[in-house]
Amino acid sequence: MEQNTVTTNGCPDLSVQLGPLRLKNPVMSASGTFGYGEEYAGFFDLRRLGAVVVKGISLLPRAGNPAPRIVETPGGMMNAIGLENVGVERFVRLKLPFLRESGVPVIANIFGNTVEEYGELASRLDGEPGMSALEINVSCPNVKKGGMVFGTDPAMTAAVVRAVRAATTLPLVTKLTPNVTSISEVARAAEGAGSDMISCINTLAAMAVDVFSRRPRLANLIGGLSGPAVKPVALRCVYEVSRAVKCPVIGIGGIASPTDALEFLLVGASAVQVGTANFINPAVMVEILEGIERFARVEGLAELQSFIGSLDTSCLFPFSEDACSFIQSEIS
Amino acid sequence: MEKIIEEARIVSRQLVRGQIFRLRLHAPNISGAARPGQFVMLRVCEGIDPLLRRPFSFSRVDAAEGDFEILYRVVGRGTLLLSRLLPGASLSLVGPLGNGFELPLTSSSPLAFLAGGIGLAPLLELIARVISERGQKGAGELRLFYGARTAEELLPEDLLCLPGLRIDFATDDGTFGYKGRITHMFEEAVAEGFGPSEIYSCGPLAMQYNVAKWALANKTMAQLSLESLIAWGLGACLGCALPAATPEDPGAERFVHVCEDGPIFSAGSIKWNKILSQQTVVPTFPFN
Repeated sequence: MEQNTVTTNGCPDLSVQLGPLRLKNPVMSASGTFGYGEEYAGFFDLRRLGAVVVKGISLLPRAGNPAPRIVETPGGMMNAIGLENVGVERFVRLKLPFLRESGVPVIANIFGNTVEEYGELASRLDGEPGMSALEINVSCPNVKKGGMVFGTDPAMTAAVVRAVRAATTLPLVTKLTPNVTSISEVARAAEGAGSDMISCINTLAAMAVDVFSRRPRLANLIGGLSGPAVKPVALRCVYEVSRAVKCPVIGIGGIASPTDALEFLLVGASAVQVGTANFINPAVMVEILEGIERFARVEGLAELQSFIGSLDTSCLFPFSEDACSFIQSEIS
Repeated sequence: MEKIIEEARIVSRQLVRGQIFRLRLHAPNISGAARPGQFVMLRVCEGIDPLLRRPFSFSRVDAAEGDFEILYRVVGRGTLLLSRLLPGASLSLVGPLGNGFELPLTSSSPLAFLAGGIGLAPLLELIARVISERGQKGAGELRLFYGARTAEELLPEDLLCLPGLRIDFATDDGTFGYKGRITHMFEEAVAEGFGPSEIYSCGPLAMQYNVAKWALANKTMAQLSLESLIAWGLGACLGCALPAATPEDPGAERFVHVCEDGPIFSAGSIKWNKILSQQTVVPTFPFN
C-alpha cells in the first residue's frame, strides 16, 4: 500500500479507466433514477459526476406499466415502472442537447424487445455527439419481452451484445441481472461477445402483497427491489463478476454513502452507479464523491485506481502457534 | 422553478384530534416559494427504514415568519415517527414541488371546496389565499363541504375559522352533520341554488372520482389534488403514475405523474376507468 502515498498536498487522482472510457471519477447515476439529468441539475453541477446514465431508452416511446408502480419495503423499494420513456428520437432531439451542453459524459441505457431492436438503437445513437458509451439493459425484471428474458441466458445475452457491437463503435457496458444461478457465466458471455464493461446489478425480482385487500401491492404483481436492502447481494455479485472477467466492472446496488461506494471498489468494481439513494438525497452523489476523496487522502492514496480490487482475502491467524504455546506454558 | 433542499426546524407540534397532527416548520426558503396545492418531500428519519421521503401538502404558509404548516394523520411508520419528533428537532425538506392550484379566474364568483378527511390540508391554504386575494368583503360565496368517516376525525372548528367561509360538515356514520357522502351533500346544495363557477377538491380517490364525474357532467371546472406513493417528487422515478385521458386519441395508453404533472389535475385529465383497485388500498398500519 505504501507505494502510492500522496507526496504533495494535491488532490488524489480519482480518475478511473473503464476499458476504452476514461472518467474523471468513478461516480455515476444509475439508469432510471436520474431521469435525463435535467431533473437534478438544480441541485448540483452535473459536471462533477463521472458520467450520467440516463433512463432506459427504447426505439419507440413506451407508456410503462399501470399504477401502482412503486412500494416501499424495509431498507428498500420495489418498482415496476415498465421502462416508460420518450423513445430514442425524442431522446436525441429533446433530452440529449441539455446533457451535451452540460458537459457531463453521457451513457445511454438501451432496451429492445428483440435482438434486432438493440442493434437499431445502437446504430441510431452511434453518431450522436455527446454520447460516451451505451449501456445494454438485458436485466429489467418488469417487462414481458426483452430485458431479463435476454439477461438470464448467456447465449441470448451474447447475441444482444454482438448485435450492438456490430452497430456501433461506442464503448459498451452490459448491465446484468442478479436473478440468475451464475452471474459470472452471463458476464463471461457478454465479455466474449464484445462488451467493454459489465455493470451489475439491476434490481432483484421481488414481490409485496397486502393481506387485507388480498391483492399484490404492485399492479405488475412483481417488481424490482433496490436500495440499501440489496447491497450485500450486489457486493457478492460484483466480487464474483470482477473475478470472472478481465474487463472493468461497474458496481451497482444499494449505494448510499461513500463507504458503500468504496466497498464496491474494494471488491473489484472500477466505478459505481448510485440509484435509489438519489431519491432520498438529490445531492448524494456529490457527497459520495467528496467522501471518496476524503478517504483517499486519509489513506494516503495518490490515485484511487490502486484501491480497486485490493480486497485482502488471505487468512491471517493473529494467535500464531508460538503465541498459543506461550499461553499454554503460562497455564501449565 | 427552483427546487430547494432545506433543513427545517420544528416550531411546534400539536395533536389536533384522534390521530391527526399539526406540525409547524421553520423553513424560510421553502415557505417563501410555496404556493397552495404544492407539496414538500420530508425525511422523517435519518435511517433506512422508512427509506424514502414522504410527501405533504402545505396546509398553511406564513412567508413573513418563514414558517409553514402541514396536517397529517398517523397512518404508517413514516407518520408515526414524524409524530414523535419534538419542537426544536430538524428535518430535511425538498420542495416546493408540483404545480399547485390555479387561483380562480374571476374575482367574486361562488366557489366550492370539497374536502375528504385529511384532504382538507391543501384546501385550507388555498381558501386563505383566495380570501386574502379577493379581500374579505368581496370574497363572494365561498363554501367548504368537509367530511370524514366519523365526527372524531373532523378537525375542530378553530382550525377552520376563515372569514367569509361557510362550512357544511358530513360524516359517513352521521355522527356529525350530514350523514353520507360529501358529494351528495354538495349536490343537494346545488339543487338548492348554489352555483359554483369552480370546484377545488382533495380527498380519497373514490371521492375524487365522484367529484370529477359531477364536474364533467355539469361542465364545471374542477381542480383535484390527487395523491400517490411518491418516491422522489421531481419526475425522475416515474413511480407515481396515473392513467391519463387523451381526448384526441381516447385509446392511447398514456400516464401522468402526480409529482410532476400534478398533484393538481383537472377532472377530465384522468382516465378514471383505468385506475386499479390497488391504488385505493387503505393503509393497514393499525394492525401492525
